[in-house]
Amino acid sequence: MIDDLYAIEKHAGRISPIHQLDARIKLLITLAAIVAIVAVPYSTRIYELGTVFFALFAGLWVVSRLSPVVYLQRLAIILPFGIFLVIFQVFIKNPYYDAFHTIATLPFGIEVYAESVEFASILLVKFIVSVSFIILLSSTTKMQDMIEAAGRLGLPREFTLTLGMMVRYIFVFAEMFGRIRTAMETRCFDPLDRTLPYRYRLHQIGYTVGTIFIRSYEQGERTYTSMLCRGYGANASLYIRRKPLGAGEIVFFVGVLAFIVLSTVLIYMQP
Amino acid sequence: MHLIETRDLTHIYHGGVRALESVNFIAERKSRIAVIGPNGAGKSTLFKHFNGILKPTSGEVLVRGEPITKENLREVRKFVGIVFQNPDDQIFSPTVEQDVAFGPTNLGLDETTVAHRVEEALHLLGIEELRDRVPHHLSGGEKKRVAIAGILAMEPQVLVLDEPTAGLDPQGVSDLVEFINRLPNEYGMTVVFSTHHLDLVAEMADFVYVMDKGSVVGSGTVEEIFARSELLARTRLNIPPIPKLIRSLQENGIPIEMAYTYEDAKKSFLEAYARRV
Repeated sequence: MIDDLYAIEKHAGRISPIHQLDARIKLLITLAAIVAIVAVPYSTRIYELGTVFFALFAGLWVVSRLSPVVYLQRLAIILPFGIFLVIFQVFIKNPYYDAFHTIATLPFGIEVYAESVEFASILLVKFIVSVSFIILLSSTTKMQDMIEAAGRLGLPREFTLTLGMMVRYIFVFAEMFGRIRTAMETRCFDPLDRTLPYRYRLHQIGYTVGTIFIRSYEQGERTYTSMLCRGYGANASLYIRRKPLGAGEIVFFVGVLAFIVLSTVLIYMQP
Repeated sequence: MHLIETRDLTHIYHGGVRALESVNFIAERKSRIAVIGPNGAGKSTLFKHFNGILKPTSGEVLVRGEPITKENLREVRKFVGIVFQNPDDQIFSPTVEQDVAFGPTNLGLDETTVAHRVEEALHLLGIEELRDRVPHHLSGGEKKRVAIAGILAMEPQVLVLDEPTAGLDPQGVSDLVEFINRLPNEYGMTVVFSTHHLDLVAEMADFVYVMDKGSVVGSGTVEEIFARSELLARTRLNIPPIPKLIRSLQENGIPIEMAYTYEDAKKSFLEAYARRV
């Protein structure tokens, strides 16, 4: 699984109009879409707005030239977290409705309400739209670009520097883990090998985790020393080059933002 | 039947990096083989194929004439032991003794046999006194020995060492060279190693493979390889000072015999000098 970490940016590194778009614009559009769909009060109008936003997302995804399989795979990984909350909703009464009509009765006195099902489906639409935009952002933007975009948009340097180092050291850590795992395989250790005593396997895994902790700590110390040697202090920050936006990018941003705002307002205001 | 053989071995990493390209490699019994080449030539990737850590993208790896399968993986790893470049990656038990016992225990040996194997390995490397020490208090050279002991305790027939002299002091290097040279004759083992120290190649190897950009670009005896200075220059390697000096002397008309090791060079120089006098 750790090997997949190296492939995490495989899709983000491709070339398409969406990939080449400035990360600030992608970040802001994603935020705008999420804020818009979350801000509209609970009502069945969310279905319409959700459809419009999903169509916008689908259009952008087509332009990004990524396969729908990539989207579905990533959605499948995130979905269980939201689905759990959504399914849970159908069994409970919520403050958005006054009267509840039972549509099914399950053993142990558990009841499913029509209003709660509606509420859950609205929640699902909000969830799917929000997650879809995040998948679009993460599948077309490299991690480093995202941090730089956040920095250009005014995220404090304490965050950008820390995030930048975190991204770098996730890979250092993965490499360290990979080498230790290889060394263990070379000496025929398999944590799932039933011929070895259970306690022994548990001990060895404990030692490995301990070693990784010690080595991470040592790595941290070494990195910190080398940072101090290069003048790291309270005023240190991640170097972010100035990057003006192109006219085309600004037009695209304004257009999409206007579309998000107008469709939200119009659908919300309709009688 | 060769102990290890690769046939047109090609390996492509995630992301399309071609690390090995049609590599044909053979290791015979009791041989000492050096694999040399610049950084990124594919030496470590090749080594990881010898015991099935990596699987070929195409081509074959045969160990004792048989391809590596899921069923014989354990046997293969017992047969081919790899010592990695950084001993810290390999040593993870709380004490030296426990770490050396790690491999034999995984092979399912009984306690007495494990204890015996640990004893032998510690003795062979001369590190009995380190038995109860914690790995992170050891020096670089000591860690290297512990790492080698951990592999030898599994009693492999082929010992593969990735950059064995990296990070060792001069005395550590000569101790290691002496130790490795004992293995083929005294224990019938085959030693395969990679290095950038070309002066060690003559001391430690009978056969040399030169790798560059994932391919084997030359192979032969030490004499054959060192005679091809254009090949070494192309692969960013330098001929060691001794043969380089002797070649210059020869080119300047001095009758002196070519030598690659310190001992041979001493003999050549003394003979050349004796002829003059």
